[in-house]
Order: sequence, then structure tokens, then C-alpha cells
Amino acid sequence: MNSTLAALPLTRTCQPSSLDEVAALIAEASSRQTAVYPLGGDTSLDYGLPAKVEGWGLSLAGMRRIVDYPARDMTVTVEAGMTMTELAELLAGEGQQLPIDVPHPDQATIGGVVATAFNGPRRYGLGSIRDHVIGIQAVDGRGMPFKGGGRVVKNVAGYDFCKLLTGSLGTLGVITQMTFKLRPLPQQWAVLSTTVADWDQAERQLAALVESPLAPSAIELLSGPAWHGHAALPAGMSGDDSIGLAVFLEGTTAEVAWMRDELQRRWRSDGLTRPVLLEGDHARNALRDMAEFPAGDAPLVLRGSVVPSYTTRLMARARELFPGVSLLAHAGSGTVLMRLAQFPAEGLSRTVVARLQSLAAAGHGHVSVLSNPAAAEMTHQCVWGGIDVPFDVMTAVKRQFDPHNLLNPGRFVYL
Amino acid sequence: MAPAISPRLVEQFRRIVGVENVLSAHSDLLVYECDGFVIEKNCPDVVVFPRTTGQVSEVVKACRVAGVPFLPRGAGTSLAGGCLPVGGGVMIVLTRMRDILEINIRDRYAVVQPGVVNVWLTQALRGSGYHYAPDPSSQGACTIGGNVATNSGGPHTLKYGVTVNHVLGVEAVLADGRIEQFGGPAEDSPGLDLVGALVGSEGTLAIVTKVWVRLTRDPQGYRTMLGVFESVDDATSAISEIIGAGIVPAALEMLDHGILEALEAAFQFGFPLDAQAILLIEVDGLEAGLDAQRERIVELCGKCGAREVRRADSPAERQKLWKCRKQAFGAIGRLSPSYCTQDGVVPRTKLPHILRRITEIGRKYELRIVNVFHAGDGNIHPILLFDERDQQQTRRVLEASGEILDECLACGGSVTGEHGIGVEKIHFMQKMFTPDDLRAMANLRDAFNPDNVLSPDKMLPTAGGCGMEQKHPGRRAAL
Repeated sequence: MNSTLAALPLTRTCQPSSLDEVAALIAEASSRQTAVYPLGGDTSLDYGLPAKVEGWGLSLAGMRRIVDYPARDMTVTVEAGMTMTELAELLAGEGQQLPIDVPHPDQATIGGVVATAFNGPRRYGLGSIRDHVIGIQAVDGRGMPFKGGGRVVKNVAGYDFCKLLTGSLGTLGVITQMTFKLRPLPQQWAVLSTTVADWDQAERQLAALVESPLAPSAIELLSGPAWHGHAALPAGMSGDDSIGLAVFLEGTTAEVAWMRDELQRRWRSDGLTRPVLLEGDHARNALRDMAEFPAGDAPLVLRGSVVPSYTTRLMARARELFPGVSLLAHAGSGTVLMRLAQFPAEGLSRTVVARLQSLAAAGHGHVSVLSNPAAAEMTHQCVWGGIDVPFDVMTAVKRQFDPHNLLNPGRFVYL
Repeated sequence: MAPAISPRLVEQFRRIVGVENVLSAHSDLLVYECDGFVIEKNCPDVVVFPRTTGQVSEVVKACRVAGVPFLPRGAGTSLAGGCLPVGGGVMIVLTRMRDILEINIRDRYAVVQPGVVNVWLTQALRGSGYHYAPDPSSQGACTIGGNVATNSGGPHTLKYGVTVNHVLGVEAVLADGRIEQFGGPAEDSPGLDLVGALVGSEGTLAIVTKVWVRLTRDPQGYRTMLGVFESVDDATSAISEIIGAGIVPAALEMLDHGILEALEAAFQFGFPLDAQAILLIEVDGLEAGLDAQRERIVELCGKCGAREVRRADSPAERQKLWKCRKQAFGAIGRLSPSYCTQDGVVPRTKLPHILRRITEIGRKYELRIVNVFHAGDGNIHPILLFDERDQQQTRRVLEASGEILDECLACGGSVTGEHGIGVEKIHFMQKMFTPDDLRAMANLRDAFNPDNVLSPDKMLPTAGGCGMEQKHPGRRAAL
């Protein structure tokens, strides 16, 4: 993930300040058959295929208002340009949170996070961004504003545009406003970590967590130079082969204390001694570091998504293929982030497509490119990696919402 | 007007699914003339019961060639007419595709055919430490395919979410007969979240033939309570206080005095009949946190004027309480010959207001209205009692229902929290959404179902019209 605005061939950048202005701009672009690139905090501009067509940048930075925050209803409606930090601070004032952890939260906008469907470590315990969007407003490729959902936590009236637009990379509509359902902030936070001997032991520990009554908010597996000497991990975490396991806990003080003690007891009986425990703000800082991981400087960042039992296999393969790679898995959800130390000498197609994607496919998943600043070899297959995914049906949907293919053209999965 | 079904087409269906899996005699078809929404009825011209995805696909292709409309149906428990064959055509009933294909605890998912009854999956999972979270009150009869179509809720959605939050992927037969898989057991399938778009599409986008569902860890413990209140206002303020205190109960249901009487007569649970409202409150999760949550809830209820907060902690007591709640609608027969329920949603803090308005509206139309609903979600289910033989009363029920739903919209809410639009609430879509919103919805439908032959005349009003005119509210079952 990279913040290079130069990644886009922009002829001008507009900064509308209302829905009507966004609609007018897109209608104008549509009448001129000009491409439109929605911009949030510019933190994920190299996610997706590289843009080739010149067009206008449409920045949502001028739309960052709180539309409605009835805190007692535990919902909030905000404009797309609000940053994640601004939103988190607003909600924390009422003891509430949107439990989505992303890199660069001070720059990343909520609209961008919804458009990219970015999810961090706590998706395992607290759900993904898709689970929290209950209302959405956007402007389609003709300049027509439309909305779906509403402002109440339960609502089945009409098609669910909240889901359809989440993760659509702004290609069906430029998202202008969203309503979220919220959660209370927990009383206590903790992270408990240990090192495991090898990938097999890692998988046994992951399987044991699934069987256990513990309810972690995140289960992270870590390996590689990025994690050497990290305060949340045991000091033994040094060589490239060592594997860290970090379990995040949140809840009431009594719940966190029980889970902490129970996990330590289980680890002890499995011979995993000397765990590291961080609590409170220290645990939150560790979570922030893990959320930040995919944004670190790297010539290539990949994301694998597999069934959870394939997590360690995908990590082991990445370790074999890429010397010096740093790995972080949101292991409860089967998400593996790979930050490479150098661009693979064999090239992207040969390594990613041939060696990783087949393994991921065996784990019912795929591998996609999260960031490739040099944009080398960015083919549809490399970047999206879907096997047997109905891209043709998605293309039919795209044509209905953006008939002239003007919203983020050429960057998403369409055929 | 849809072309009539030719004997040749019926013969073709018999070849595809077998003679025993096709119904075409009028007396057989009568069973399928409606679902739980009994106001409008229309028989399909033929009913087929495929047993495989391939058969569904072949049936759809045959319909396309013949130019006849078709629609899917599960157990027919839906309450908004989602399975009404408007204009006739072919009904594809999926209840004979009822196998649980895979249960994978390590990866926390199960794969089921659409005709699997909701509770079967939970029964199959018993002892595994996991369950399937969505539990609509009709869970003993409704199918998971139908739950996917309507994005079903239930009493535990407050903490666990609705069906869409638990569906990882679907296999579906598209309107042209193609078979496609959307999503699957792994998260983050590349591209658009069409799983999210298909769930809740009420059978208008595709026919779901297989579902990958997320399994949820069984909670370590429960604390179930009954808060007894002297007034509805006190009960609704307690709801607001509990949620406002940062407690997310697994369920938070309200029953008013009227429904309590009927329940007590039916089940003899020991409900306090002099109470104006009770709250059924359940918290679940780690044992370590439960007692403290209960104490806090008891304290907050007390602060809001609760007369007492009873415990229902023993498994037998808890089970009986939930049975009462889930069968509440069955008990209404004791109150009146007919009833009609609505499914509006308001922001939780507007509950006191909407309940006061419901009382006023009842008074205005001289109707008795009782309430049993998912209070924690703000999802009301006012039940309007009447005698359908009295036409004048029947008309008042319709007017009062409309006024209640208009009030929900005025509060910033929705006309349906879990029952769906179907044919019943089509005329409300224009009140809730702008013409542009509806155009965008039609655009999505056109991408999947361009000729509108799959479940036509549902969910979206057609240009110039607003669906069927409602003349007659009927009995309606469960929620």
C-alpha cells in the first residue's frame, strides 16, 4: 500500500463539498467521456491494476462532516472523506468504536476503507467492515446519486447496496456517505504472545484456539525481519525462521483476565513457556503495529486469503519462495500478508501465479497484489488471482452502474 | 400476460426431475398459491422439485426457451409474499435439496443445500461447540435457502447479526440457467461482493442451490432474565439504558400486557399478568463476564422502574421461556379470529415514541394492538387484532398498519427489518427510496435478471404502478 498520487494519470483534481457537487462533476465527466478516479487519503492508490487512462481525480477530502451521531442508538452517519483517526476519536468520546484496523489511520478515509474493503486483525473476533455498513450513498457513473440501507441496525428493504459497494473500489459509484453500526469500547485490552517451534506446531495451536472456549478478538501469526525485537513478542523471536503467535483479547476486565490466565495455562501445558503479556495501551499499540504492517516500505506486498487451516501452509510456502520476507497472518480469518524484501527475480507471474495461487486455490482461496510500487507485471491474473470467479457477472453489474466505464477504469476485476 | 404452460413443457420437466417431482393438477397446486402472506393468492401453473443443481439449471433453461416466468420457493414461511407466483408460471421448490454437505469445524463453516431446515443444521452441530447463529422464530420449518433469500433475522441478531453476516458463499443458478459460485469458504473472494447482493434479494436475482455458512462458537454461558415493568415507557427506557451502558445482550425482546395474557393462557409460564410490559433479556459469552453484566442489567432495570427482575437461568426454564417467545404468534389465536403484524424498524431511542404512537393509532382506529418484538434492534412487530369477516374493521387495520409504517419512516427507520418487501410492501418502496435509488436497484436486477422472468413483480415497483392494491389483511404467522 502506497501513497503515490503519481500512480494515477490525472489531468486535474476536483474537491467537491457536497453530494450535489459530486453528482454534477461525474455528470460532466460522463458527458465528456472522461475517467474519474475517486481519492480518499491516498493510502491505497496502488491497490488494483495500474490506471492507464487519463482522467480527473475526485477528492472526497472536502466531505468529512458528521451527518448524524445518535450515540445512544450506536450508529453514526459520516461523509466519506473523514479520516479513520477522526472517526475513532469521535466515537471514543462516547465510549464506542468501529473495530476496523487499517494502516495510516490518520490519512486513510472511511470512504476509502469501505471502497477497498480493508480489514485488519480484529476481523476474526469483531467482524469485517462489510458487517458494519448499514447505510450507503453513492453517485454512479452517469452522475446519478443513489442510496441503499438506512440508519437503523436492522433493515431488509431493497437490495443491499451496502454490501455491493463495499470493496467495489469506487467502480460502481463514488461513495459519498455511510452509516455504520458501532460497538462499545472494551474495558480492557491485552495481547499475549509466544513463539512456536515450526509451522506444524503453529497450526496445532490455531486449531486448539478454535476448539477452546476463548474468544480472542484477533489471532496473529508473525515471522520475518519486520518483527525482530518487537515489544509485543518474546525476545527469542529473532532468526528468520522463528514464528510468533500473538492473541489479542478484549472485553470486560474479568473476561480479559480469565482468557489471559486460561491461555497461559494451555500454553504452559503445551510446553510454550515465557509468554509476553501486554495490557491496556501497550496492547493497543501492538494492534496498531500489526494493522500498519502491509503499509511498510516493500517492493511488493501480497495478500493471500485461504481457509484458516491453510494459513500456515501458505506462510511456509512464502518463506521458501521469498528470502527475507516478513509475514503477518490474521490467522483466525485465513488472511496472510507477505511483505517481500525484494521483487521476485523470477517475476510476478511465475512466482505468484504459478507457485502461490495454486496452493491458495487448494485452500479455497487466492492471492492478490496489495502493493507493487514499480507496477511491473501487473496482469489481471497476478493482481486478482481468482480462479473460477464469475468476473463476467461482475462485469454485467458494472455495465449497469457505469455504462461508459468511467469510474476507476481498468483497475478492478472486470473483463 | 405470461404464455400458458404447454403440456409439452410439463412433459419436459418430468423428464428433467422425474414424474414424481412435478405437480400440475390444480388440487396439488393450491398448496403453493401463497406463503405466510395470505392476502394475495395465485396458483403457479406447475411446481417442480429438483434434487440437484443441474436439474435446477435445466428447468430454468426450459422455462427460458418456453418464455414462461419462474420463481424459487423454500418452505413458504415468508411473510411478505416473496414466493407468490404473480402471473403464474413455474415454481421451483427446493425442499428436496435438503442435504448438509459438509461441516468443517476447524475452518468454521458448513455447506448446505437450500432446502435444509434452519434448525437441522444446529441439531447436526450439537456437541461440536459450534452453531449456526441466525435463528428466526420459524426456524423449525424455514429453510436456509429461504433465509438467504430474505436475509432472515431472529431474536439473536442484536449481538450476532442477520443471515448476510453468516453467509460466506453461494452457488446459484442464474436467470439464464448458468451455474455460478459466488464467494466460498475463504474470506475476501476477489471482486464485487455479489454474495452480499444476493442475500436478501428475495429470489429476484438468482436461485441459490448451495450455501456456505459461517459457524459461530457456542457461548460458554447464558444469563436469562425477565424484567417486569409497570409501564411500556419504563421498559423502553430500560432498553435504551442497557444498550447505552455498552452492554450488547444476545437478545432483548419486549412483550406487552396484551401478548402476555395470550402467552400465559397458552403456556402457563407464570408471567405476571398485572405487568404492563416485560423484557426478555439474555446475555451470553464467557462465564467470567456474565454475572457482572447481569447485575448491571438488574441495576439499570431498577433505575427505570422495574418492579422486579426474575432469573431464568436453568436450562429448562430458559428453554421454556424461548419456546413461549418463539411461539408467541401461535398464541394470538386466543385473542382474536384474525391478526396482522407489521415489521417496522426505528432507531432504538425512538422506541418509547413509536409505542406511544401505536397505542394512539390503535385508539384512533378502534383496534386492539398487542406487541411482541425485537426491542434491542428497534424492530417492532405490532399485532393488529381483528375479525376478517368485518369488512369495515378490516379496512381500518390496513389504514392503521400504513400509519404505523409511515411513522417508522418519519422516525428515520424502515418498513421492514426482517420479513422483506415481497409483494406486501412494494408500495412503501417509493416512500423509503427516491426514484433514483429505485432505478439503481432496477439496474442491479437487470444485470442478473434482464428480462424480469425470475420472480417478476416483486420488491421493486414497476413504472407507473405500485404493485398490488391491498384490500384485505389476513392472518399472518410467526416472525
